[in-house]
Amino acid sequence: MHATRVILVVATLISAAIFLGMTFDTVRQMGPRTHADQLSASVVEGKWLWQKNDCNDCHTILGIGGYYAPDVTKSYAIRGDAWLRQFLKDPAQMYPNTRQMPNFHFGDSEITSLVAYLKWVSEIDTNGWPPAPQGMALQESGGHMVFLAQHCNTCHVIEGSGGTIGPDLTHVGSRRTEDWIVEQLNDPRSHKADSIMPSFTQLPGDQKQELAQYLAGLK
Amino acid sequence: MKFKSQRIAREYFLVALPLFFLQVIFGMLASVKYVWNVDPLLKILPFNIAREIHINLLVFWLLLALMGATYYMVADEIDAEIYSLRLARIQLWILTVSGVAAIVGYFFRWSFGMPFLEQPTLIKIVIVVAALMFLYNIGMTMFTSHHKLTRTTATLLGGMVMLSVMFLFGIPFMNNLSTQYYFWWFVIHLWVEGAWELIAASLVAWCLIKLTGVPRKTVEGWVFAEVCLVLLTGIIGTGHHYYWIGTPHYWLIWGAVFSAAEPIPIVMMLVDAVRDLLKARTLPIVNTLALAWLGASAFVHFVGAGVWGFGQTLPQINRWTHGTQITASHGHFAFWGAYGMLAIALMYAILPEVTGRAPNGKQGVGFSAFMSLNFGMIFIVMALLIAGIVQVYLQRIMGLDFLEVQNHMRLWFEVRLAAGGLFTVGTILLMWDLIRIALPRPATHLAGAPVPQSAD
Repeated sequence: MHATRVILVVATLISAAIFLGMTFDTVRQMGPRTHADQLSASVVEGKWLWQKNDCNDCHTILGIGGYYAPDVTKSYAIRGDAWLRQFLKDPAQMYPNTRQMPNFHFGDSEITSLVAYLKWVSEIDTNGWPPAPQGMALQESGGHMVFLAQHCNTCHVIEGSGGTIGPDLTHVGSRRTEDWIVEQLNDPRSHKADSIMPSFTQLPGDQKQELAQYLAGLK
Repeated sequence: MKFKSQRIAREYFLVALPLFFLQVIFGMLASVKYVWNVDPLLKILPFNIAREIHINLLVFWLLLALMGATYYMVADEIDAEIYSLRLARIQLWILTVSGVAAIVGYFFRWSFGMPFLEQPTLIKIVIVVAALMFLYNIGMTMFTSHHKLTRTTATLLGGMVMLSVMFLFGIPFMNNLSTQYYFWWFVIHLWVEGAWELIAASLVAWCLIKLTGVPRKTVEGWVFAEVCLVLLTGIIGTGHHYYWIGTPHYWLIWGAVFSAAEPIPIVMMLVDAVRDLLKARTLPIVNTLALAWLGASAFVHFVGAGVWGFGQTLPQINRWTHGTQITASHGHFAFWGAYGMLAIALMYAILPEVTGRAPNGKQGVGFSAFMSLNFGMIFIVMALLIAGIVQVYLQRIMGLDFLEVQNHMRLWFEVRLAAGGLFTVGTILLMWDLIRIALPRPATHLAGAPVPQSAD
């Protein structure tokens, strides 16, 4: 009995020592894994704004936090600069009549910091989390995939499903050409000066083309 | 009750109980927001504030209940008065005022913003001061007495010291989010799967000795082994939180192996406690409710923390479930079983001793509270689990948009809300029953006299 106790205590102490060693190594590796050299003043200010406004009790980040709102780890990669700016300025405008984020009335420089922070977060090496969905491969059209991945249905309806903030796109192909749609994606204000649609310049060219082709086909 | 100063436990419990009730109310507010499409309280009490208050109150009332029980138990074990009753009372006031200040502050957006540790730094420092007063007080009680420190009290002291030290890692602001979260888990994980387990194990051991007369040697033998195993698996087991947060890849292996072993000591605790209760008991069971809560706690601890935790601890599964309602299901089940139910068991065990009222029998309000709380929680946990499975499938595997998937989960959020209603009823019944026991016994008992309600 006495021997068992000694073994247990020694094993526990060894495990604590291993944990400390791994902590030391983890902190050392954290710099390159998180691009810590890019932690600019603006990124750090963004982190503090994120904390000060308690964003983490609705949203998860790196999968940790409240489960009430979307995970923001890859928000920058998915939505891009312009979309995030537009959303942070007035969240209700983009998602009417559904679960909403309060308007925090961020100033422009605060929004810049928050977006810089989200950009930095999106570049952390997370060992491949979150995993890419497998079901997307089942979608019939590449353009439709882009439409869903960019959350265009937040504002636009196709065949009865989607948001109502933007025009219904069910028959958009009978009104607009593929080129017109590409222009619209690059700069919505080129067609309508007071358009509230964010621009999608950050979308890779082939995806933009696929999306435009898909939409132009909706006659 | 052997010593006058032990009555401080009652004061801690009387503050803890209304906080538990408030925790449940804020939980209901948070859960109704999942059912509402548009939140009418968005500007006054958005979800994040409801959630931070819900969880802060949880930690707050549990700590108060465990501290109150600790004062009672230490005096009992050491066979001496508490070193300073006055200090214990001041500590209670400091904690209550700082806790209430933190919660009121949340309404005014005064927050540090790390989940569960949202208390502003100033309040965290005050909490550390109160913790030091607590450690000093129980430490002095232990070391100024000529009575030998029992293994159970030593474990308890160890747990309380670990709890206080780990809290320090949650105080600083770090520029790097990954580093911040790395050390944040030192508080969260090493509390619930380390320090709190030590505290719980020693309080359970003491309760068993006290309520059932199981020989001390029998209980202390297994408690020691299991506490070692908790630490042996739990410390490196922290690694199951280090899969996806910017930490090196080797945590996927270390975290998986060690955290997969974490249920072992929990199973042993359940088996040993039940075996002792059935075979080594020497006293008749008088305080049925205290023992019912204690036994149920050991079981739900095993299912909620052990089974539910194991279910998603391997990286192959966690990759898909991380950050979904499945985690919420596990969190509710594990905390309720391991700590919520234990705190209630301790109140049922200690309060009759303090006030001299007869402990409750099987029937009555206390029994109804037991049933509605436990069934309420089981339904909450099941609804969240199903919601989580829907979420993993539609959002993570199929790639549907977050908000669209939330709509598909609505039915289960409604079931959860209804189950929360049952749990709320149970909470009210429990308060009624425990506050009744906590009231001093009147000199001449008038049969049928209404029970005065004091909220303290």
